[in-house]
Amino acid sequence: MKHGHTFRVGRLLCYIILILGGITSVLPMVYMLGTSLKPNGALYEYPPKIFPHLNVITIENYIYVLTKEKFHINFINSVIVSVSTIILAAAISTSLAFCIARFRFPGRNLLFGIVIGTMIIPGTTLIITQFELASFLRVINKLTGLIPFYVAWVIPFSTFMIKGFIENIPREFDQAVYIDGGSVFTVFFKIAVPLASPAIASVSIFNFLTAWEEFQWALTVLNDNAKRTFPIAISGFFGQHQFTQWGYVFAMSVTSLIPVLLIFIFFQKYFIAGLTAGGIKG
Amino acid sequence: MDLKTTRNRIQVFLLLLPGILMFSIFTVYPIIKLFVMSFYRWELGSFHKQEFIWFQNYSAVLSDEVFRISFINTLLYTIITVPGQMILGLLAAVLINSLPRFQIPFRVIYYLPVITPWVIASLVFKYIFNTEGMLNYILYEVLHLTNRNIAWLDSRWSGMFVTEILGIWKGVGWNMVVFLAALKSVPMELYEVADLDGCGSIKKFLYVTLPCIKNTILFAMVMLTIGGFNVFTSIKLITDGKPLHRTETVLTWMYYKAFRSGKFGYAAALSFIVVVTLILLAALQFRIMKNRNEEGFI
Repeated sequence: MKHGHTFRVGRLLCYIILILGGITSVLPMVYMLGTSLKPNGALYEYPPKIFPHLNVITIENYIYVLTKEKFHINFINSVIVSVSTIILAAAISTSLAFCIARFRFPGRNLLFGIVIGTMIIPGTTLIITQFELASFLRVINKLTGLIPFYVAWVIPFSTFMIKGFIENIPREFDQAVYIDGGSVFTVFFKIAVPLASPAIASVSIFNFLTAWEEFQWALTVLNDNAKRTFPIAISGFFGQHQFTQWGYVFAMSVTSLIPVLLIFIFFQKYFIAGLTAGGIKG
Repeated sequence: MDLKTTRNRIQVFLLLLPGILMFSIFTVYPIIKLFVMSFYRWELGSFHKQEFIWFQNYSAVLSDEVFRISFINTLLYTIITVPGQMILGLLAAVLINSLPRFQIPFRVIYYLPVITPWVIASLVFKYIFNTEGMLNYILYEVLHLTNRNIAWLDSRWSGMFVTEILGIWKGVGWNMVVFLAALKSVPMELYEVADLDGCGSIKKFLYVTLPCIKNTILFAMVMLTIGGFNVFTSIKLITDGKPLHRTETVLTWMYYKAFRSGKFGYAAALSFIVVVTLILLAALQFRIMKNRNEEGFI
């Protein structure tokens, strides 16, 4: 009896701790949503409220940022950049991963070494020479100045993950295709790509998030407001106004959080799969 | 396998080509160029007056007061946020793993901060920690713990503290998911044996769970250390190095020197120092964990 009692107290304590942690996890976001729905009068209301009264809730901040600030342009820019990045990165990393996993060719170890090595180097450290490269390629202040750099950033991790997955596909499948007279391309398109698609999907979700929220490179390359992606648009708006209009800032933030939440909700199992694949298991 | 036919060799080459081109142009070339640049007097806007100056950029970085401050800030950020995230993440994982139901809702809620873009999370934290913000209101007006509104963002240690809290808040969910996967892979038989030996929950955690998830701990530690040195967006948006560059981190200071002062050579040398530090730290962590491996975890 006594044992059962402590067991129940322990379980209750466990729920209390987890619920407190859960509240801490979501509260800042709830506060942000609340602020974005308040009338944007005072800079800091007093006393501050996490969430406005239901009868003062307004969407005027959203209407303002979409009409006056043309935030939808920044939003669309972000969509273009992120979608292009994940498509190119998926194509390039899958082909690299397939070749490294299946064939011996000169420089294979060097190539894989570069893949692993560049995962350790923080992307920001290369920003100076990448900026010079972008100037040389005349892609400053263009969305094409973001996409190839993002692709290059995400390729190492994506290749590493997809390679691990392809190595687990039995080679007998390949052999069957070769015996039937198929080529490397046939194996790639008929075996590797379809069977590795769960891994490709999960790295693509991570790549989407990386490109969607990327800040420092976009800050360096884009000046023109019409070319900006949403993180730069928000921080730029934030910096321009000495007395920050938090309602507008958070209306933009909530708008740009919606796609992330939708993807997270619909592809939850790929998130978990992506994090736990690739030999992270204890 | 061996590539016997020319057709297959060409096809493999074609599959490799885009990746190799991307790597060579956008990653390998910038790394080599950065290394070369770090030995030159190289300033933005004066591309023709480059001059080879040996290690002068490196000595300029190492003798720079702000670099020392930013390095210490970055190191402290890493020392505080890495264990902070790992311990809370592991705690959350152990607790969630022990639940008979509701595991998925907790997992989803704890993961929300991870997917929140850094720009958004940073601005929300800036808003909460503002001098006229919510936190001061609660501490001063509601709980009466302080006798005035504290200017969190106006001094070095409290400014860094805000970014460290943000770093931990945002990272717990990632650790939770990674550790949860590791916990689920610990063989149940080990716990049963420990039960027979009369081990309590704490002993089981120390002698069964921790040794079994050692590789995950190492993996998380290396990844988070890299992440800690990478801290940029939160500093840039929350303190922007203020006051007087007292809250710079290595990368925000590098960025400032490169794109505000135009000192590309200096910034290149700084970048290389960061890369070398990270490689050394990763090697050190692997070594320590490997020794632990031979001795048992504790």
